[in-house]
Amino acid sequence: MMETIAASKCPRCDMVVAPPATYCPYHPVAMAPATLSGVGEIVSFTTLHTPPEGFRSPLHIALVELDGGGRFVCHGAGTRGLKIGATVAIEAVDDVYYFSHLGAVERARLFWRRTGRAGDRVNAIARSLAKRVWKRRQRAAS
Amino acid sequence: MQRVFVAGAGMTRIGRRSEPLPALMAEAARAALADAGLEEPEAIVVATMNPEEFVGDGNFASNVATHMGFSDVPALRIETATSSGAAAFYTGFAQIAAGLRRSVLVVGGEKMTHLATPKVSEIIGRSIDPYERTYGATMPALAGLVTRALMTRQGVTAREISQVAVKNHAHGARNPFAHFQQAVTIEDVLDSRMVADPLRLMHCCPISDGAAAVVLSAERGPVRVAGVGHGADTLALRHRLELTSFAATRAAAREAYAMAGIGPERIDVAEVHDAFAPFELISLEDLGLIPPGKAGRATLDGDTALDGRLPVNPSGGLKARGHPLAATGVAQLVECVWQLRGSAEGRQVANATRALAHSIGGLATNNWVTVLERG
Repeated sequence: MMETIAASKCPRCDMVVAPPATYCPYHPVAMAPATLSGVGEIVSFTTLHTPPEGFRSPLHIALVELDGGGRFVCHGAGTRGLKIGATVAIEAVDDVYYFSHLGAVERARLFWRRTGRAGDRVNAIARSLAKRVWKRRQRAAS
Repeated sequence: MQRVFVAGAGMTRIGRRSEPLPALMAEAARAALADAGLEEPEAIVVATMNPEEFVGDGNFASNVATHMGFSDVPALRIETATSSGAAAFYTGFAQIAAGLRRSVLVVGGEKMTHLATPKVSEIIGRSIDPYERTYGATMPALAGLVTRALMTRQGVTAREISQVAVKNHAHGARNPFAHFQQAVTIEDVLDSRMVADPLRLMHCCPISDGAAAVVLSAERGPVRVAGVGHGADTLALRHRLELTSFAATRAAAREAYAMAGIGPERIDVAEVHDAFAPFELISLEDLGLIPPGKAGRATLDGDTALDGRLPVNPSGGLKARGHPLAATGVAQLVECVWQLRGSAEGRQVANATRALAHSIGGLATNNWVTVLERG
C-alpha cells in the first residue's frame, strides 16, 4: 500500500506544503487541501548522534521532496548507501513518518502499480532507470 | 534621517562565567558607557533570547536597567532568536535616526553554561518550527541537512569547512575576550566526533555566557552606522526552496548596502555568523563578499584570515569568541567598532575603514546585516 500524505496548496503560487498549513508561507491566503503520495526524492539527510530528549541515538532525519511538490521531514531506519536524489518511499507508523530506500525491483514494482496501460508502465520503469543512470553519471562528472 | 554614531563599546570576557546574567550585562554596559564618557543614556534596548528558560526571570529589560541603577530610564527588550543582539542594535539605531532619542544604550547577554547541554539544545531548539521539532530536529540537525546539501550539490569539501574553524580559532587565540583562546589543527577538527553527520563537534560553536554593549548617539563620533538591513525567511526548513543559500541574508545585505550607498567590494573586515562552520562559507557568498562557489577555496587560500585580502571574524567568530546567543549580535559590532578605531590589540586589521556584521536568527529566519564606517 502506498501511503497518502495530507498536504495543502496555495491558490496563488501553487506551493504545496505538508503537513497542511492554514496559510501559504509566502502569501496571506488560505491554502486548499491536497493529497500527495508517499514517494519522493531525498533533498538532504543527516544522522544525529546526540538527539534531544525522547529520541534514541542515532537518529536519522531526511528532508524529502514528495512527488507532486512539497518537502517533508521524516525519520528512517538508516542512511547506509543513501544519497541525495535517491527515491524513497514514505510510510506512517503511529502518525510518525519513516522513509525507506527503494531498490531497482521495488521501483519497478512501484511504477507497475502506479500507471494505467501496460505500455505506460514499461515506459515509466524505463524512464526511472534512465533517470537514475543519468544522475549517477552527472555526479561522477561533477 | 538623523545620522547615528557609535559613541562607546564594551563587552565581558566570553566563556563559562559564575556571575548572574544582570551582572554580566551591567559589566558590558558600564564598559560601553565609560568608553562613551556618558553616565546615563536616554533609553535602553536589552537583548536576551531565553532568560525565562535559562535563568528563570522575565521582564528582563526592567531587570537589567534596575540592576544598573537605571530604573527610571525607559528600557525595552527585543528578541529575534539568535540574532536578538543585532535586532536590538537596529532598534536603538532607529530611535536615534528617527530623532526620538539622542543616546541609547544597547546591551545583549545570555547565560547558559550552568545548564546541561541537552537542556540548552532543547531551549535553543524551541526557535525551530514546532512540527520539525517533533521529529527531533535541533539546530545541529538542520545545519547537518544544510551542510550535506552544500557538500553534495555545491562540491564544498570537509577540509574547506574545517578550515573555517581552524582560522577562527587562530583569531580567537589573539582575542583576550574569546571563549577559546587556543589554536587547533585541521586534523583536530576532522577527527572530532560526529554531531549531525556530516557536521562534527568542532564545526559547531560552543555554549557560552557573556554580554556585550554599545552606546549609540546622535553626537558626532569616530564610528558611524552607515547601513542596517533586515531579511526574513520561512520558519520551517521544509518550506524553503533552497538549502545552500539563505534568502534572509541576501535580503538583509541588499538593504544594508543600499542604505550605506556602497557595494560589498568596499568592506574591509567582516564579522560573520559562523554558528556552524559551513554557515560562514554560505554567508560570505550570500553577502556578496566572495563570488558564488569560491568561499571554500578562498578560505583554504587564507583570503579570509587576519592577514588575508578580506579578514573574516578577527574576533574568533561564534566558533572561538563564543556564542552567548543575544550577546553575539552586539559582540560582533563591538569587534567592528574596535577594528575601525584601531584598538583591536593583537588582531588589528590594518587601515579598516568599513566593517560589516552579519547575524543569523534561528535557522536563518531572521537575519541582519550592519555596516559601520569610520566617522
